[in-house]
Amino acid sequence: MIRVLAVRLAQIPLVLVVVSLTIFAVTRATPGDPVQIMLGMQSSPEAAAAMRREFNLDRPLPVQYVLWVDKLLHGNLGESIRLNQSVTSLLAQTLPVSLKLASAAMLFALCLALPLGVIAALWRNTWLDYLCTGYTVASFAIPNFALALILIYVFSMKLDWLPITGIGSSHSTGLWGAISPFIVPAIALGTLQTAVLTRLLRASMIDVLGQEYVRVARAKGLLPRTVILVHALKNALIPFVTMATIQFGYMIGIQVTIEYIFAIPGVGSAVLNAVINRDFPVIQGFTLVIAAFFLCANIVADLLYAVLDPRIRY
Amino acid sequence: MSTLRLAAGQFLRNRAAAAGLICLLLLCIVVTLAPVIAPYNPIQINLGAKLQPPSATHWFGTDYFGRDVFSRTLYGGQLSLSVGLAVVLFAFTLGVPIGLVSGFVGGRLDNLVMRLTDAFLTFPPLLLAVAIVGLLGPDMRNVVLALGLVQAPVLARMVRGSTLSAREEVYVRAARALGASPLRIMFSEILRNIMSPIVVQLTIVFSAAVVAEASLSFLGLGAPPPQPSWGRDLSDARNYLSDAPWMFLSPSAAIMLCVLSINFVGDGLRDALDPRSWRVRAKPVPPAAPVAVLSEDLA
Repeated sequence: MIRVLAVRLAQIPLVLVVVSLTIFAVTRATPGDPVQIMLGMQSSPEAAAAMRREFNLDRPLPVQYVLWVDKLLHGNLGESIRLNQSVTSLLAQTLPVSLKLASAAMLFALCLALPLGVIAALWRNTWLDYLCTGYTVASFAIPNFALALILIYVFSMKLDWLPITGIGSSHSTGLWGAISPFIVPAIALGTLQTAVLTRLLRASMIDVLGQEYVRVARAKGLLPRTVILVHALKNALIPFVTMATIQFGYMIGIQVTIEYIFAIPGVGSAVLNAVINRDFPVIQGFTLVIAAFFLCANIVADLLYAVLDPRIRY
Repeated sequence: MSTLRLAAGQFLRNRAAAAGLICLLLLCIVVTLAPVIAPYNPIQINLGAKLQPPSATHWFGTDYFGRDVFSRTLYGGQLSLSVGLAVVLFAFTLGVPIGLVSGFVGGRLDNLVMRLTDAFLTFPPLLLAVAIVGLLGPDMRNVVLALGLVQAPVLARMVRGSTLSAREEVYVRAARALGASPLRIMFSEILRNIMSPIVVQLTIVFSAAVVAEASLSFLGLGAPPPQPSWGRDLSDARNYLSDAPWMFLSPSAAIMLCVLSINFVGDGLRDALDPRSWRVRAKPVPPAAPVAVLSEDLA
């Protein structure tokens, strides 16, 4: 297992090199000059030239790439062209916000998917199961931004229960003030994951309930509650936990529409702004970090799988 | 041919799939006939009739510029469905040959291709599309290119996996023995036999592309403004949520209906194309007494 972990970890830099080359090529191969956007059309050629020199944009492309990688290896992601800030500090500002939102969304997804999946499996092919399945089908079909608008309309405008802004602002007070701005965005973001996880748990629970050891546990005369929670659920949760980890990594990348609606200063908004303004260092640094994050989430998922299921030996 | 007919029978017997197919076909017809059906010009500004609630004259109300929401939704469907179809075509023409060759040839080429798709798959798909469209400029061609590039690696991986197992099948060895060229084996023999998972995957690509196009338009990275688009219209509706909730209702219902029917068709195809899941109409076999089975097992 340690050997496989080593191989997986060794693959990370390899994939990241390909990722960095790709994103570098995409940023440089596309039209649009960050310096022009930054200085405006009326800028003097001297100022533009000075700025190009400052960000090494006047060097040949291979040199630019090598300079960037050299900085990367020294832990420096470079300076934003547009914001007077280093990419690292921008990341330190936005990543915690995105992680908080993703955690809140995942918490919501877990709280809903666990009971729904178990109920659907235990009462399969009854109206309870059809209700759960109907919920997952609907959740797969509604895009998160459309759901967000419905939730805003109902819970913030009509009922006036929940605020729609406030994430990342400092004047929220108390526990409710800290939690409440996350509720609507987290539900909007996490609903797709509730569907994915409910479906998975239902299937794995049905599979486990048909296994010999569950039948033996029942035959021994154990309480149905013990059989379901201790014998069946514990094993049905193995693929569930793995999937939840992968989905968590995935959420960081799909938050962009939710961040846009709720004006949340997370990584998605930062990338969107950077793309619109051709802020090359920010685009490169952020995509690289997000890709690395996603890779790590996948490796953690693999490891969890081996920890939870001792039969699995890598 | 008869297997195809059997599969079609299975598909139509599945009520959800049949309903999805009918719904999808209706949607396609209505959207194609938008110029005939739509009561108003979707980009005609009429400030005298702005933000009107649904009524007999404007079925789904009007937006801030007095444009008819129903007409805009119909025309928006043209955009969404054509982008979806274009992405399916793009992903198919790019992903299938890559997957076939990679799986069939194997070795170093396969390794290289798989590492490349790995790299593509480590980007969150929507963010990658945002980066590509944002950098190339908001334009429908770029949206199709971006979404196709996001989906092609997924398809390529799947095709490669199917090819790997198909490569060892008897019919491939037979074709080889008959002197068929590798190209012929790949694109005729193998492709024909792995078509079912590809078709199912393409329905997933289709619905993902419809949602992704709406997301990009919502972020302002889709079709330029006056053109009706479900995602952009939703983004406009956001600003009038409390005054004109109807602006938001019809495009989001359209997206849901479209994605839902594609998903139903996809699920139905998956079951219909897999003979193992066919529900054969036969006499129900009485289940064996569980106690007997258990005692046998323990013996």
